[in-house]
Amino acid sequence: MSFQNPGALLWLIPLAASIVALYLLRMRRRDVRVPASFLWPARTDEVRANALIQKLRFSWLLILQLLALSLVVLAFAKPQAKQHGLAGDVTVLVVDAGASMGATDIKPTRFDEAKRLVIDTIKSAKPTDRIALIEAGPSPRVIFPMSSDPSKELVALDNLQRYDAESDVGEAMRLAAALVGSQPGARIVLMSDGCFEPIKDFSAGKAAVVFQQIGSGRRNLAISALGTAETPNGRQLYVGIRNYGLDEMAATVTLFGDGKVIDSEKASIKQGVQWGKTLNVAPSIKVFEAKLDAPEDELPADNYAVTLVDPGSTLHVLLVSSGDPFLERALVLDPRVSLDRASSLPVDTSRYDIVVFDGVQEKPVKARGVLTFGAAGPNSPVSEQGSISGPRFVSSEHRPLMADVDLDGLYIESAQAVKPKATAEIVARSDRGPLVVTNQSGGLKQVYVSFQPLQSDFPLQVSFPIFIGNCLDYLGGQESANMLSVQAGAPFSLSTFSPVSLQDPDGHTTQSKPIGGSVVIRDVRRIGKYTLTVDGKQKPVYAYLRSDRKSDIAPNKDIQLGGGQVKAQIAPVRFADFWRPLALLTLLVLAGEWWLYARRS
Amino acid sequence: MNLLLEPREFRVLEGLRLNPKKSFAGRVRGERLTKKKGISIEFSDYRDYVEGDDLRHLDWNVLARLETPIMKTYRDEEDLAVHLLLDCSASMDFGEPAKFETASRIAAAIGYIGLGGGDAVYPRQVGLRQPAMPALRGRSSYLRLTKWIGDAKPNGEEGLAASLRHFAHASARVGLAVVITDGLDPQAAAAVRGLGGRGHEVFFIQVLSDIELDPDLEGDLRLLDSEGGKPVEITANSFALKDYRQNLTRHNDALREALLRVGGRYALVRATDSLEETVKRVFRREGWVAA
Repeated sequence: MSFQNPGALLWLIPLAASIVALYLLRMRRRDVRVPASFLWPARTDEVRANALIQKLRFSWLLILQLLALSLVVLAFAKPQAKQHGLAGDVTVLVVDAGASMGATDIKPTRFDEAKRLVIDTIKSAKPTDRIALIEAGPSPRVIFPMSSDPSKELVALDNLQRYDAESDVGEAMRLAAALVGSQPGARIVLMSDGCFEPIKDFSAGKAAVVFQQIGSGRRNLAISALGTAETPNGRQLYVGIRNYGLDEMAATVTLFGDGKVIDSEKASIKQGVQWGKTLNVAPSIKVFEAKLDAPEDELPADNYAVTLVDPGSTLHVLLVSSGDPFLERALVLDPRVSLDRASSLPVDTSRYDIVVFDGVQEKPVKARGVLTFGAAGPNSPVSEQGSISGPRFVSSEHRPLMADVDLDGLYIESAQAVKPKATAEIVARSDRGPLVVTNQSGGLKQVYVSFQPLQSDFPLQVSFPIFIGNCLDYLGGQESANMLSVQAGAPFSLSTFSPVSLQDPDGHTTQSKPIGGSVVIRDVRRIGKYTLTVDGKQKPVYAYLRSDRKSDIAPNKDIQLGGGQVKAQIAPVRFADFWRPLALLTLLVLAGEWWLYARRS
Repeated sequence: MNLLLEPREFRVLEGLRLNPKKSFAGRVRGERLTKKKGISIEFSDYRDYVEGDDLRHLDWNVLARLETPIMKTYRDEEDLAVHLLLDCSASMDFGEPAKFETASRIAAAIGYIGLGGGDAVYPRQVGLRQPAMPALRGRSSYLRLTKWIGDAKPNGEEGLAASLRHFAHASARVGLAVVITDGLDPQAAAAVRGLGGRGHEVFFIQVLSDIELDPDLEGDLRLLDSEGGKPVEITANSFALKDYRQNLTRHNDALREALLRVGGRYALVRATDSLEETVKRVFRREGWVAA
């Protein structure tokens, strides 16, 4: 037990001395003449005094008054007891729901252990404690808001799910800080194995951050690479296995082509070494899958990989930008897109299908398509002629690029004044000149947009992701892929006006309705083969996890948070005030003292 | 002239005689029968003739029939010594009306009954050392009795027990000792036993006021004894009052028991009780007096 205000205890001595001194005062009694005094008992219960001074005698009133005083002084000293537990008065629990939390070093999994801790925390919380729970998956979400109703919290806990994907713990922590950062004494409890990138741009405000580290092992083999390459000898498939543990581990790698086994090999892989293999494969095979069987492996999620050779099924996109989250989100919503980001154009662009210039001047590239926003270059389909401000959309052509794109009322702060080159086609124009221009020459397709998205309210329009999707279709050269491979946990969109159903590897089906001509699929949480039914046609979707960060399941005891370091705590301490029961006890003692006084007076 | 009693009270007392359980030897011929066989006209019993007996009391009829000399005996009539012991200690000056006032009227009533019955009434003040007053006889002495009572004041300095002991050891004529007192002396029971031990029959009339039977004291007090006893400091709360009542009951019970042991009689009278009520409830109902 400790005291928040120990100085108050010093008052006990003078105050107690004062009370005792009052009892040393002698009662000045009224003289009364009686016929005979021998019948009267010499019984004195002094409750008042008005003269000096007498010998101190035992008195229950004195005892009760000293007891009440002691309790009051103790209450003013604000005693507090140390309690071990995750919950504070106000607590936000953030549970890492990323792939590494599926590690089985703690049975059954780290995630289940985190869930158990959440249940324990809810059950052990005091009635006045308020708790919220945030799921730190790829897209953080609040499982239940601030509440002090354990039964509802436990019911809501069923919605907490794990993803075979990278978790956005940073965003989850920022969400938690937004919830309780302004409340002194609040606590943000992160339950995680610490397997995530350092979190920047984070401030807990007045809340305290507690890191509850979960996990102990790091034995993990992962398929780190799977792909095809066109060589003079024909199409070759390569596969890479990496050992993230500290001990050599044995595994069996099995490769599938269009669902049939095409190769299987046992391998023993040393710590930190990447084992690899290449083999020639038939050009007719469109889906290659790799599965890893390692008995000592502690993370199953990265033991599966898939690569598709169906044209258009994958688009490697490079975004050259100083930063535009709206554009990035619109790009990755397309399931075909594998997005890389750069602030300046790299030397080698041959591995990219599409390069997007966002406010960075367009330069010659080796990609199939180029999308440029507000920064025409010498190679662009337009020539720059200055800048204009406040252009207003006037009309657009009936082209696939502009299908379902409504630019009416679009506000553009400033744009480039451009003149299209001879081969270029204006597909949308404003009252001050071209807005969208396309060009196709040789194997290169170009789309030029005369303004940057962030210099307009275009990113806030429903048409924006549709326009980006149309651009990807146009520049990628395929209307849509017959099959998809996506990162598990990452939402993606499909352009359709019909409901879409998704059947997961376990056979469960979920329905999604279109909004504004597109459907966002968010239910691909686990690795494996899904079946998407769109407009009556079935399309296989392969979900995979390929993440060095998540495959390295060695738990971190310290995490980097907002530029500082937070250490894992085994049993965080909270201080529970108990001045209230003391005050109640004081009242009871005073009531008893009053009762005794009234009887004796 | 203060007769102490109202005319209607005299009427109530008229015809009453003190009725002790014992018989006492008289000094002069009175109106009271004694156990001593004498020569009065009231027949008592027969006995055998012995030489020297007065032949006037020989039953000639029996002698003629049985030829046996049988003497007739007669009960003697003598006066009764009634010691009227009126407590004049300071403790009697309490209550409303004062206990002494009630005690005086009871003393007057007892005296009147005694004088009317031909008894020798010896008034004595308890609590004061005064020379013994000669016996009063006959109703004509009632005025002297009332004067004596009227002169008495509750300012005695001697305690009840000491006074009674002093009386018992004095060479007073054995008789009926009527003690009219508040009995508030811790040694009162012992003194009563001493009185009985000397051969007196004791009528003990304890007069207490309401403030003694149901005291209404409150607060932190120092109680000063009216007769010089040790002061007592008390907090007059329910506990103290309860203890007081228990002590008073215990003290009175001890008095009653002491009187029973010596063949005496005990009565508790409230100072507020009327004389008629006392005569009716105590004197007549319990047989202290006879018509």
